[in-house]
Amino acid sequence: MPLDAPVLFKRVPTAPWGSANERIYVDYDDYVAQDGYAALDKAIGMSPEDIVAEVKAAELRGRGGAGFPAGMKWSFLPPPDGGQRFLAINADESEPATFKDQILIQYDPHSVIEGIAMCMLACQLDTAYFYIRGEYHHQREAFERAIAEAYDKGVFGENSRMGKVNDRAPNLYLHRGAGAYICGEETALIESLEGKRGWPRIKPPFPAVAGAFARPTIINNVETLANVPHVILHGADAWKGRGKGRPEGAPPQVPASFGTKLMGISGPVKRPGVYEEELGVKLTDVIERLGGGPLPGENIKAYFHGGISMGVISQEEAEQGVELDFDIGKKWNNLGLGTACITVIPERTSMVSMARNCARFYSHESCGQCTHCREGSNWIYKMLTRIEAGDGATKDLDMLLELATSMGSMPGHNICGLSDGTNWAIRTIVNKFFGEFEAAVSSKRTVSLV
Amino acid sequence: MAWITKNSGSTQIERRDTPYLSDEVKEAFNKRYAHRYPTRAALALPILHEIQHHHGWLPFQAIEEAAAFIEVEPSVLMDTATFYEEFFLEPRGKHTVWVCQSVSCEIMNEAKITEAVREKLGIEPGETTDDGLVTFMKVECIGACGGAPCALINETLHENLNAADVGKALDALD
Repeated sequence: MPLDAPVLFKRVPTAPWGSANERIYVDYDDYVAQDGYAALDKAIGMSPEDIVAEVKAAELRGRGGAGFPAGMKWSFLPPPDGGQRFLAINADESEPATFKDQILIQYDPHSVIEGIAMCMLACQLDTAYFYIRGEYHHQREAFERAIAEAYDKGVFGENSRMGKVNDRAPNLYLHRGAGAYICGEETALIESLEGKRGWPRIKPPFPAVAGAFARPTIINNVETLANVPHVILHGADAWKGRGKGRPEGAPPQVPASFGTKLMGISGPVKRPGVYEEELGVKLTDVIERLGGGPLPGENIKAYFHGGISMGVISQEEAEQGVELDFDIGKKWNNLGLGTACITVIPERTSMVSMARNCARFYSHESCGQCTHCREGSNWIYKMLTRIEAGDGATKDLDMLLELATSMGSMPGHNICGLSDGTNWAIRTIVNKFFGEFEAAVSSKRTVSLV
Repeated sequence: MAWITKNSGSTQIERRDTPYLSDEVKEAFNKRYAHRYPTRAALALPILHEIQHHHGWLPFQAIEEAAAFIEVEPSVLMDTATFYEEFFLEPRGKHTVWVCQSVSCEIMNEAKITEAVREKLGIEPGETTDDGLVTFMKVECIGACGGAPCALINETLHENLNAADVGKALDALD
């Protein structure tokens, strides 16, 4: 059943409720006129524990890719000890094919800011850093404007309507990254915030205990925080009324898929863009109903359903009923839901070139700390370049799979998940489209084996 | 590629008498950023952005001055600066064209855009035109996949490009 009314995109015109061409920057006054900051006012009257409990009850899961429950993350924080406590907002949206957060940042930044303020209240965090990727110039300008408005209207600063948070005036600052994919990993983001190379840290200690500047730190995705005002204003039950919910018969401790999600569609479809739908919607439904289906003359072969690191879904699988929810990984043999930003791969595009593109990305973005990530991704890239050029051998395919598998599959082989992402991207592409790779290493051969 | 190191044993450091970071810039910067972070070392990214904003790239002398300013060793700031793609440690053109090469753009024919830029400017990715006007870069996903193929020209995003559009946009640069 299609979503009846938008939750996150309430103020951002989106089909079927509006046209993307009508999108304009929603300033403070417009935002307030449309229920804005009502949730913050409600939260100010609540105790921090109650806010956390409500978010926990709503089972709001992180929207940045990993799907970790936000309320649980918040409850890991130690009690205040008089020192500073930080919030880092992850707006380093660098996963290829992902472009959902930028819409919120550019057009409805106050929805994010309200969520930030509420998280600061709930977790007693006095300073928030909005870590935005360096390439988001338009978005950065819009967000800086929104921050200035928020200070002006008493959301942050000495005269904040929240009063003192953690015995300090609450502050929100924008911190600009400088073009490094790895800085989207939470501990790399912290390192970058501290002015160092974006090298992920070995955990533990986890950021909630010793994060930025060795102080307790919460890191949340932009979309996750933008959902918080809705959860608090309308309650956990209203939130749980949307989405797919828990798998049938599963006990309550099994993580579930509640609420709505921003979904991006890119590639050769009639209406590419960012849309909002309930979790659990069918992949083919998203492409047909929201994306308008493939462009004339194009046939869909496969999808990257949530950024390249989650792996691919073939069109046959999609037609068997792939649903976009947090269980997608278990059911369809890929890493997970990821960012739910879908790239449509048409028949004309070779899967070998897609794999090569992914491998180049990982070898380029590897931070270089773990050997198998640094060397493995580059090795895979070289092999795929060779295979694409028609100079591969059948044994290369076995080696490709062996290499990818040895790079780790969540969690534990590496400091961070980049290497695991390489594995899932390359392995699922090769496994699900083995025929194309076989053809590439045989028929195009230009150098004789004899 | 953050982890590629270069032999720096024979590096010649060009110096000039006028400091890159004037007192006014330092004062304005301190006023705007210093209170935001609990340590001075955290000012690394903002100060590098600031220098690059004024000079277009990061001269070694400027990095040294910035390091003294944020109270870290020059090698520490250099370490940070070399990690990030966006920081230029060598002079670049007055304008920079960043053509996205990730999956969505590749599917939507990024190759044609790259070819158009290459033909128009007569340079390969990573190079600058002889007159120092334009630097051409290929970049991983810039987060505008709905408008693929896309490119950034300086700080402006161009979406749904075709070869003719790119030519026009490049002609407009002066």
